[in-house]
Amino acid sequence: MTRLKHLIHKKFKSFTKAFLNLLQGIKSRFEAFFQRFKSGSLGTKSAHLVMGSGNVYHKQYIKGFIYLSIQVVFISIFLLNPEINNTPIGYKALGNFITLGTELGDLFGSLADNSMLMMLFGVVTFGLIIVFIAAYLSNIKSSALSDQRVKDGKQPTTFKEDVAELFDSRFHILLLTPTILGVLTFTLLPTLFMIFIAFTNFDREIVPGLNLFEWVGWQNFTDVFSGRGEIANRFVPVLTWTLTWAFFATFTCYIGGILLALMINKPGVHFKKFWRTVFILTIALPQFISLLAMQQILSEHGPVNATLMSLGILDQPFAFLGQARTAMTARVTVIMINLWIGIPYTMLMTSGILMNVPKDTYEAAQIDGASKFQAFKNITLPYIIFITTPYLITSFIGNITSFNIIFLLTGGDPNIPGSVAGQTDLLVTWLYALTIEEGDVNVGSVIAIFTFIITASATLLTYRRSKAYKEEDTFQ
Amino acid sequence: MKIKSLIIMLATVITLTLSGCSRQTPLVIWVGSEVQEFYEAQMIEYVRLYNEQNDSDFPFVIEVRAADTGTAAGTFLDDMDAGPDILTVAHDNLGRLIAGAGAIRPIQNPALIAQIENDNSAAFTSVIRATVQDQEYIFGVPYEAQSLILYYNTKYLTPEDVQTWEGIWAVAQENNKRSLSLTGTDGFNNSFLVLATNAQTGEPIVRLYEDGVLENTEFVTDGMVSVLRWGQEFFTHPNGARQASDSGWSSDLDTETSLTVIGGAWHFRAAQAALGSNLGVAKLPQFTITEDHAYGDFPAGTLMQSGSFTDTKMFVMNRSSDKLEYLEDILLFLSSQEVQQASFLQNSTLPAYQNALTEFEGMSGEGIQAQLTLAQLEMFNYGIPQPFGREARFNVFYYQRQAPDRILEILRNTTSQFDTVEAIVSEMQAIERIWFGIRD
Repeated sequence: MTRLKHLIHKKFKSFTKAFLNLLQGIKSRFEAFFQRFKSGSLGTKSAHLVMGSGNVYHKQYIKGFIYLSIQVVFISIFLLNPEINNTPIGYKALGNFITLGTELGDLFGSLADNSMLMMLFGVVTFGLIIVFIAAYLSNIKSSALSDQRVKDGKQPTTFKEDVAELFDSRFHILLLTPTILGVLTFTLLPTLFMIFIAFTNFDREIVPGLNLFEWVGWQNFTDVFSGRGEIANRFVPVLTWTLTWAFFATFTCYIGGILLALMINKPGVHFKKFWRTVFILTIALPQFISLLAMQQILSEHGPVNATLMSLGILDQPFAFLGQARTAMTARVTVIMINLWIGIPYTMLMTSGILMNVPKDTYEAAQIDGASKFQAFKNITLPYIIFITTPYLITSFIGNITSFNIIFLLTGGDPNIPGSVAGQTDLLVTWLYALTIEEGDVNVGSVIAIFTFIITASATLLTYRRSKAYKEEDTFQ
Repeated sequence: MKIKSLIIMLATVITLTLSGCSRQTPLVIWVGSEVQEFYEAQMIEYVRLYNEQNDSDFPFVIEVRAADTGTAAGTFLDDMDAGPDILTVAHDNLGRLIAGAGAIRPIQNPALIAQIENDNSAAFTSVIRATVQDQEYIFGVPYEAQSLILYYNTKYLTPEDVQTWEGIWAVAQENNKRSLSLTGTDGFNNSFLVLATNAQTGEPIVRLYEDGVLENTEFVTDGMVSVLRWGQEFFTHPNGARQASDSGWSSDLDTETSLTVIGGAWHFRAAQAALGSNLGVAKLPQFTITEDHAYGDFPAGTLMQSGSFTDTKMFVMNRSSDKLEYLEDILLFLSSQEVQQASFLQNSTLPAYQNALTEFEGMSGEGIQAQLTLAQLEMFNYGIPQPFGREARFNVFYYQRQAPDRILEILRNTTSQFDTVEAIVSEMQAIERIWFGIRD
């Protein structure tokens, strides 16, 4: 208990320190901003109002034109509010983000406001504002840098020099910009949108453009803990099974893959390349084909049942998957099938690692009198674990969000009457059922947020504690 | 030279862009993939007739595109602007299509309204209407019908056997087979029991959103309890009914595990592939409530007729279409008796036209296609159209809040949870609350 208190105290202290550092950083940036205005040239002062004017002042016409264009485009969009599907982007979008629409529409008149687009365009407008602020600050900084060069007796850089610099000392910026833009557009924007949806009543009865939805605060989250309804009743069981599945799916494949690799790489085993190729074939085949084949093989009229019945072991077909009589049967079956899909990956990776273990280490161990088991325990295994820990973590997280296997093999069944979530549903397949099949987008978003929190926390916690992270420079 | 080339390039790009913008968009119609070619040919004919009658060319190119009619309404609602001008949907989608501001336009052309009223049964004309802003409108144009029927294996079963479930059951017992495989576990598939009627009087045992009113709903009746108790015996008996195996219902037929399946016309090809020349088609069988099953005031010995939803597919118009003035004339043509008959002959679709049985050619044949049509038409005497079109919520309450799973669980009784009448009634009350939209 004292240790826990100490740990909490330590964490709290580091958090407070980080927060104070953040405030300090913001403060110093503000100070720098005002300092630039105060001590800047006329160009820098005017750049606070008209973007690019500082660069024009320093005869950097192209750069100035680019900044000015950004300002013109932004102000035009912000003030003119161009519409897409009758929904504006611009300052109106900020108001719409708050109301999520007011126009109900009628049969022969206009359509209702599209709450979904209003929310999306609100987020986009916030994004544009942030991008514009970044460009605005960069415009001032650029002019201030030119001021500094003039003060230092140098000429302000030309456009050609700026471009050349982008390919040289600032090459990282050139490379990272498209990636960051891509992440902002295709990851951050949808994520923010999904988070916002979780705070609305956007469910199956809402068709954007025909009816409005509205903000409901924390209602959907409190429902999880209310003890009533689908989420409250099924969240903990589904989460428990998801974590159980992820644990077994990860470690059975991991251990199985290592054992297989050790067997194949064992001196004296013939046709090593052939064995590797055989197992790699399962990777080369599209996963869903393997899964559908397994589903058919294990089905009631499939060859497994037919064989067991012809051998007299069964007198009637046995349901292994979605129609299994017990959840345990279906769960064990999907974990077993997952071995077929997952082991080759680990086997392949471990084979590569085993082939690269320095031979002299084994020779030294042999000279010191280590047995084969000791060599494996003290050299091979730590070596494999060190290198594969990040893989192990991503594999665990990947299994938490593993959709294909459950969806194609059992569809989440055996079902529980009265519940959307079946007994083999993972958080993601449940999320799919709730959103795509049932249309409860808001509830699905809540599940998605919980899933994200769990996977992100698990990743950060385990990875930061791993040797691979702490001693990343050790392995050469 | 460089500037000149640049100007020429720019001019070309601008011209192409502008000409692209000014091009008229085609008039788009979504139909089921199985009838796309047929309606393409019909629209060529329509354009020919239009051009003849108007001495001018029809102003748009018409594109008939294949769409999954089961999901067409949802796809359309996801992005109405990208949707077609006309689409086909099952009538029970009406509720969500007219929810809020409404995604479809009501029919206003008097000639089309007259054709709809004259050609269709009251059952259909009542479910394509809805009241919006205190005014009743017709929103859909019926052109096809569908109902559940029985596909059976003639190697084991005769037409006499399939008159009753007991007849099928007896043959299944003799041959150690299953009597029935359900093709699905949803609320459509359990309708053979839920919508069962008294075979003598035609009286139903449940009330389901009658006249589009939520309160006109009743599931917990003595009749329904009796039928579920009968159904429980049927589903728990080793030679009775079952959910399709995980190999699929067609595999159940193919391997002769089950002797029959309940399905719609859309299952016909798969059933034929499974049974080949051994395929028989019949109306859904009857069954008798015995002393063991009768409950309350419902008398033992009552002969029940299995029920079905008897639906219509209808054309609807996208309210956002910029070609609205042309659409009703097209619908007048597409839903005409002639086109419905041609579709029946070419595609084996069941016409919505109410006098099809007596007036259309080919209805009296003896082939399997004719059996399919006749069985469906016969089921129209014992079924009701899905009553969910008036309000979008009804569909959700009936299908999507786990009521079908609960009904199936009463029937399967896998954990012996529903051994007693009290347990069955209690679960039925929970289902009734779901139908009323009450969340427990």
